[in-house]
This record gives sequence, C-alpha cells and structure tokens, in this order.
Amino acid sequence: MSRKYRQWVKEYQDQAWTVARYILKDAQEAEDATQEAFVKLWNHQDSIDPNRVKSWLMKVTRNGCLDRLRRRRDNVEFDESYMAGEASGPMQGAAASETAAWLKRAISGLKEPYRSLVVLRDVNQHSYEEVAGMLELNLAQVKTYLHRARKQLREQLAEVRP
Amino acid sequence: MKEYDDKWEDQINALLDGELSADDADLLKAKASDDRALARAIVKAYQLQRVMDQVNVERAPHSLTKRLKAIPREHRSAPVFSLFQPRWAMALAAIPLVVIAVSLMRPDTPSASEIAQARHEMAIAFAYLDKAAAITGREIESTVGNTMANAVTGSVNKVIQSENLTSKEKEV
Repeated sequence: MSRKYRQWVKEYQDQAWTVARYILKDAQEAEDATQEAFVKLWNHQDSIDPNRVKSWLMKVTRNGCLDRLRRRRDNVEFDESYMAGEASGPMQGAAASETAAWLKRAISGLKEPYRSLVVLRDVNQHSYEEVAGMLELNLAQVKTYLHRARKQLREQLAEVRP
Repeated sequence: MKEYDDKWEDQINALLDGELSADDADLLKAKASDDRALARAIVKAYQLQRVMDQVNVERAPHSLTKRLKAIPREHRSAPVFSLFQPRWAMALAAIPLVVIAVSLMRPDTPSASEIAQARHEMAIAFAYLDKAAAITGREIESTVGNTMANAVTGSVNKVIQSENLTSKEKEV
C-alpha cells in the first residue's frame, strides 16, 4: 500500500466520515460514501495537488453524499431515529450531553449548504479558506451562509433553552 | 421583542471566531447594553459555541478503516499508456517480423505482364548479343578466316540463347 495513501487515511478518515454521517444520517450509507471518496482519491492521487488533498477529499465526500441523497428521493431531511441510537451516532463522544445531542439533530436538520458549512467549519474545524475551497464558494459567501446557519441554530437553541 | 440589526450578525460571529478587534468588541458590548435583542443574541451565541465545543469529529468505525486500507489492493489504478511498457515494446518489435512474414507469404509466380516484359527485355538483350557476335565474327574472319569464325560465334550464341530461354520458360 502506498505510504502516502495510508497517511491520508489516517489523517482524514474521521473528518470524511463525520461529513458523510451528518449528511446521510445512516451509518452504512455513510461508510459506503466515505469509501467511494477514498477510492476516487486512490485513483486520482497522482493528479491531486498534495497540499489540497484534504479539501479535495471533503468536497468529493460531500458531493457523493448529496448525490446519494438525491438518489434516495425519500427527501427525509431529518430522521428522528438517527439520534435514538446515540451510542452509534456521530455524537458518541458527547453522549452524556442532552444539549449536544440536540445540537447534532439540529445540525443534521439544516438545509444545504448550511449543514455542510457548520459540519466543516464548526465540527471539523476547517478554516474558512478551506471550507470555501471545499464548497466552491467565495470567502464572503461562506461567512454569510455560516452566519445564517448559526443564527438558525441559536434560534432553535433559544426555543429548547429559553 | 424587537429584532437587533442584522449588521451586528457579522460582529457576533467574528467575536465567536476570535477575529473581532478589541475596539470592535468594545463597540459591540456598548451597543448590546442598549439593545436587549442584541445582548440576548450574543448570550445565545456563546451558549451555542459551548455546546458546539462538545461536538467533536466522529471517529471512523473500525469496519470503515478496514475498507479504506483495502482499497489499494482492490482498486489498482488504471495502467497509463506508455511506449516503454513491455507490451508496447513487444508490439513494436513484432511489426518488422509481421512485414517479413507477409512478404514471404506472397506468391513468387510472376504475372503475365511481368513475363511479357521479361521476354521483351531478353529479346533486346539477344539482339545486342547477335550484333556483338556478328562484329566479333567479322573481326575473327579478318584474322583467322571465315570457317573458324562460324565455328566459334555460332555455337556460343546458340548455347547462351537456348539456356536463357529454357530457364525463363521453366520459371513461368
């Protein structure tokens, strides 16, 4: 196995998985989507700028997830059962926190591109510039959309914790 | 409740991102002291950030890690075209062999037009030969006599002519 590829798996698998998990809300499908993205990375590794591998991978993962959502056609934006099995969900590290569980549901319930923006910026902690590259938006758009997304989350938070 | 001015939204986010200058932060605080909606938005923003801090990147399950590590074995990258790859080198080397084989497989029987051409050229050649023989005969005659000249040039000419015709006819 390519040492370079092994390093990419080590560094980026969690972030790609997190993106897929939040968008698809289904563990098995998220695994499939993440694997597809890494297959593309493996096949195109020679043509990708080594400094932009992370951005490339997140973008491909997200696009693959959105394609899957479109194919799914059930159009369920928010699956309540997603949070029912807390231990296996993306929030397993914060399972003790009801508010954190609520926030995860709230993030998953956001529309695109707000959901991806919050996951990439606030959960995965990518820089604004990286997020702009991943979503093919300019910096001003990223900030504007992210501010709207956070405002929506704040308003929802105010409802559950007045 | 009166909604705060949206222009402060950027300031709130910049404050949370740690990108707000000290002067702008003071300005925002001063404004918030007069605007309860804005003050409430700032408080909620901080609360949201605290909750957000509890939501971390999810660890990929072991089954996924296994699948990702298996990709290089299961998905060999497509071969790139190169003249220097063995199969292309072999193909290039085979071309002259094919040409030779095809040329060897061609029938060696001459066509009718080739035979006619050969006969025509031979007729011209023999005409020259007869002419040369006649000249030679005259020279010999002038030196050793007519009888001996006929004996020499006549037989030579006949032999050569009959030999050539026989071999050509055999080929045809």
